Amino acid sequence: MKKRKLKEQILATCLILPSLIVFTIFMFWPLARTVYLSFFDWNMIKPVKKFVGFQNYVTLLTDDLTYKVLGNTLLYIAILLVINFVFPYILSFILSFLMRKGKGFYKTAFFLPSVISLVVGSILYVWILNPVTGPIAKILVHFGIVLPIWSKSEGLVIWILSLVTSWKVFGYNFIIVLSGVMGVPQEVIEAAKIDHVSNYRIFTQIILPMSSATGIYVFIITIVQGLQYVFTPIKVVTQGGPNYASSNLIYQTYHEAFYMYRTGVASAFSVLSMVLFVGLLVLEFKYVEKGVYYEN
Amino acid sequence: MKKRSIRICALLAATLMMATGCGSAAETATTSSAPAETTAASEAPAAGSESASGEKIKIEYWHCNADDQGGKTVEDLVSAFNESNDHIEVVAKYNPDMYKGLMQNLQAEVATGKSPAVVQIGWAFLDYFSNNFSYISPQDAIDKYDTEDPTFLTGNFLPNVLELAVNSDGSQVGIPYSLSNPVLYYNKDLFKEAGLSDEGPTTWEQVIEYSKTIKEKTGKYGLYIQEPADNWATQALLESNGAKFITKEGDKTQATFASEEGIAAYQAWADMVADGTALNISWDEGMQAFNQGEVAMTYTTIARRANIQSSAAFDVAAVNSPVWEGKERAIPAGGCFLAITAQSEEEQAAAWEFEKYLYSIQSMAAWTEGTGYVPPRKDVADSPEGLKTFLKENEMMKAATTQMDSVHPWTSFPGDAGLQAEQILLDTRDQILSGSVTAQEGLTKAQDDINALLGN
Repeated sequence: MKKRKLKEQILATCLILPSLIVFTIFMFWPLARTVYLSFFDWNMIKPVKKFVGFQNYVTLLTDDLTYKVLGNTLLYIAILLVINFVFPYILSFILSFLMRKGKGFYKTAFFLPSVISLVVGSILYVWILNPVTGPIAKILVHFGIVLPIWSKSEGLVIWILSLVTSWKVFGYNFIIVLSGVMGVPQEVIEAAKIDHVSNYRIFTQIILPMSSATGIYVFIITIVQGLQYVFTPIKVVTQGGPNYASSNLIYQTYHEAFYMYRTGVASAFSVLSMVLFVGLLVLEFKYVEKGVYYEN
Repeated sequence: MKKRSIRICALLAATLMMATGCGSAAETATTSSAPAETTAASEAPAAGSESASGEKIKIEYWHCNADDQGGKTVEDLVSAFNESNDHIEVVAKYNPDMYKGLMQNLQAEVATGKSPAVVQIGWAFLDYFSNNFSYISPQDAIDKYDTEDPTFLTGNFLPNVLELAVNSDGSQVGIPYSLSNPVLYYNKDLFKEAGLSDEGPTTWEQVIEYSKTIKEKTGKYGLYIQEPADNWATQALLESNGAKFITKEGDKTQATFASEEGIAAYQAWADMVADGTALNISWDEGMQAFNQGEVAMTYTTIARRANIQSSAAFDVAAVNSPVWEGKERAIPAGGCFLAITAQSEEEQAAAWEFEKYLYSIQSMAAWTEGTGYVPPRKDVADSPEGLKTFLKENEMMKAATTQMDSVHPWTSFPGDAGLQAEQILLDTRDQILSGSVTAQEGLTKAQDDINALLGN
């Protein structure tokens, strides 16, 4: 009996080993290395790394710029959550239970942009939304509206870049949410309809709780992935400008690392971002996860 | 409970991926910012292969010219050389992400003990390259391998052009190859509509005045000055008013752009943006706006000539970089020089032979036609084998070729602080042009910050 258990143990270890190795090489090792580098003053070229203790963190935390970037990051998260989490939910509900015709068309239409590279998308949007020569600007001029020069306007630039990112993220999130919403048994909805329950209540009291497992996944993926995706339009369109008004944590880390070659500060930034997001996740597990419904 | 812990692990992993993932995101971005092609030429065996008797010696030429930036011309030049030469075979290797990308690749290559023979080095990397890599200076190469033609450098190049490739220790690191300078392109159709002279402006004061007229008469923007992630055009604008970006005193280098002249020139630009006669927008958008006739004048590099000529749907012309009234023109050079990094004597000799071919009148002419760069050597412009006919047909090149005597080195801030200094100036540009600070405040603060970085 004992022997068999040991055998199983070995087999299990063997099976998990390949992914463990991959994780170690590509995730845990870089992570450890990032933490290590955050204590040094280095530029990736110099043969000697200078140990500076917590100086990089002090530099970071006393710099106003860090807080500006943090604020931008939160704004990005808020906007992306509305566009890529709230909207897909409502849309899925409409498509699954309220619409009768054309479901297939909408599904395809919404998903299509997800397969196109975000670089292409960014360039496309720079053209479409060009405040001077873009098609939208030219149409609006006839109505006496002049588009602001968004790529150089603090505040506005974040909205536009979020829009570009959403164009890519929306379709994928939408398909996932849709499958969750469609997983809610039709009979429950029918029963509610017979009882003359309003659509609003069906959505908030039946659909939302019953699809919350998918919902929470999309919620987190929107925050995590969304922030990574925003990187591309920032890099292509504004390079974090004007005056860091469109930079987020990820881009700022890249900027410090590969424009300024301040490896230590960049690593400290990285670690800070991670701590921040681990914190967010802990909060999420503590308060949100409890209410999630798992079918099986 | 078990399931829960698995989920926790998965989510934690997702966060970790995010924290460490910036590395991979960065990679995607670098590849995406450069055009899609990877190495243009096939990977060649490392330079340094022995050339047995009768066999061709193989050397590598590293460049950063993507297909839409003269890459085709590089290939043509190299294959023509290979066909006509019986003992050298050159392999051209494309490096994405411009001079910075090439520099990084070179570093990796040298770390493995290999080295290409001829490399393109951007002006901004002049000191960095000469401090970190081993190279043979062109005059040494000539003295060693080309004794018949000892005055090749002084005989064929203007002294101020050669000086561009002299590092801060005073040694000639390479020979200027790609040379660009800023010119003012203008839309003749819009000028006509606004009743302005067909000749184009010669001073910045005229540019300001013309822009006002254009705004009033046509409702279009008057001017767009390029805003990439460097301060090349800004340097031209300020230094043409008598300001100096940096001043060297002995070993000490000091930022000095916040002089009266520098502030006045910068404020003039900011004022134009404020009253709507100049456009403040990203480079791509700005060029689109000009090419579609929404902006009457644009101040950018001659290397964009081919692109502007093919995309502008109107009568376009170019004039010399404007000056401020009563001041002298001072413009920074853009582009690169060629350096020989071959290590063995045999390869160095081959590298020089190839380089000399690249600097021949015919090769230089082909390079200019394919790119828009100004030929760095004398005689190319006037020689019938060179660009005589091309320049006659292509009036726009004249704007750049006739101001070569005003070209100065592109300011690069020395030492480790260089990148940060550059960034401070970019941030300042955003602040001044958006009107959140005046040129006086912005430039003074930037100058103080940079001088603090430089240890002054």
